[in-house]
Amino acid sequence: MTQMPRSRWGFAFGWVAFSALIIALLIDAQTDNPIVYVRIDLATLALCMGAMLSCVMALSWWFINHRERRVRIEAMRIQAQASDERRRFLRRLDHELKNPLTAIHAGLANLADSASLDSRQEALSSVKAQTVRISHLTADLRKLAQLEIGELERGPVDLNEILEEAFMVAEEDPRAADRRLNLSIPRAPWPLPKINGDRDLLFLATFNLLDNAIKYSRPGDTIELRAFEGGTMVTIEIADTGPGIAEEDLPYVWDELYRGHTTRSVEGSGLGLTLVRAIVERHGGQANIRSRTGQGTVISLRIPIG
Amino acid sequence: MDTKPKILLVDDEEAIRSNLASFFGRSGFAVEIATDGQEALDKTSHFEPNLIVMDVLMPNIDGREALRRLRQSGNWTPVILLTRVGESTERAMALEEGADDYLNKPFDPHELVARIRSVLRRARPGQPPLSTASRLSSGPISLDRMARRLWLNGEELSLTPKAVALLAYLMTHPDELITRERLLDAVWGWDYPAGTRAVDTRIAELRRAFDDDPADPQFIETVPGQGYRFIGTVEAAV
Repeated sequence: MTQMPRSRWGFAFGWVAFSALIIALLIDAQTDNPIVYVRIDLATLALCMGAMLSCVMALSWWFINHRERRVRIEAMRIQAQASDERRRFLRRLDHELKNPLTAIHAGLANLADSASLDSRQEALSSVKAQTVRISHLTADLRKLAQLEIGELERGPVDLNEILEEAFMVAEEDPRAADRRLNLSIPRAPWPLPKINGDRDLLFLATFNLLDNAIKYSRPGDTIELRAFEGGTMVTIEIADTGPGIAEEDLPYVWDELYRGHTTRSVEGSGLGLTLVRAIVERHGGQANIRSRTGQGTVISLRIPIG
Repeated sequence: MDTKPKILLVDDEEAIRSNLASFFGRSGFAVEIATDGQEALDKTSHFEPNLIVMDVLMPNIDGREALRRLRQSGNWTPVILLTRVGESTERAMALEEGADDYLNKPFDPHELVARIRSVLRRARPGQPPLSTASRLSSGPISLDRMARRLWLNGEELSLTPKAVALLAYLMTHPDELITRERLLDAVWGWDYPAGTRAVDTRIAELRRAFDDDPADPQFIETVPGQGYRFIGTVEAAV
């Protein structure tokens, strides 16, 4: 596409106007600015006027058309991106449903064929476990849909309380026993300010990230939950010395049902981070992630105080 | 004479109807089936069920509309609504239209049968259930469910909306042990890891407001390791 950027057009027009000004000044300064009479027959005048007018009209037509085309192209690009995301989401959803359903098929086949009570019991409990897995998936999808449209139950929220509570629950996790968990919340010169938000959702976001950090780290790793105030925002960070996230996975970690290449083996719906981001954005904040493979990951949630 | 409790099961999904019906049968209920709201209304009049289990999203007359018409005609047969969307608005609607309980799909059929039994136990035949009363009271506590306002000894208390909704649920299920998970499902609309803490936080808020000693409770009793129970006598106030 050969498009002349708006700034280049402005530059060209500027030059024409500037040159005309210089020439006018030169004539005025160097000569006695003679008066010039132009004699022209009416037919030629009409022709010239017509040519000028049509030039102006053609130019403006081209401008408007050009701008409309640009808007159309941008809309098409956004639409293509949305349908791309939708396709990716459907593909992942298909994948997430395929596995438990295959297991259920197999379990039912075993149930129908097997004679021994033990193997029937085993098939039954496996079918049940897979059903629970699909139920969790639909529950998470519902949560997400509700979060995006539902009303927040806002009130003054004490972040200290939430962070301490989430940290306490995470510490009770048996997997946390062989990891080092640190909590760092400022006390001086003043504690974290209260923010106007939904207490349960902010707890859920913090806890989800801590739970993720425990889930994806290894024994001996360090996990830190910290928070600080800066200007009009409070930042909550959850950092770990875990295996980190591959660079090619990083842009997608917030997407619905996205499962990184190295995390496929770990149980989860692939909706945890999407939920976290939705919660933070509903509070007018931002969620960011930085990670280096082999070194660890830090996720920061920036939430406005107001 | 057949003394089995009669259940009318209303759902537009054949797979759900047939599986639940046989499960109900094995749980000791007599079951009749309807496929939409209109059929449910028709069958209620001659089958005279002890309880109706009804889906919300159905063709023709949906569950919500069927329930509204049933109550308008002065029929107080207990109803358990099966909701698909778990939205808080939908749950609030279920209360306004006089459902006795509601359960989010997908659910465990055992849980549904447990709910049926407890609603049947609570039911006072021919009388409106507590869950249809817009104002409830228990001793000094007075609750306006529609306006979500709460008074103690005539003085209005200012509590979080969640705490008020939680109290409303407990008061409409008096003397019933309710697990934290069920409270989460009913009041928050979704369960989440460590979410049971959120329930405990709100219970603590209510106890503080009522000055209710957990060791010697007048209103909300903790059943260790299981859940909570509202032990005050609840009355529908006019």
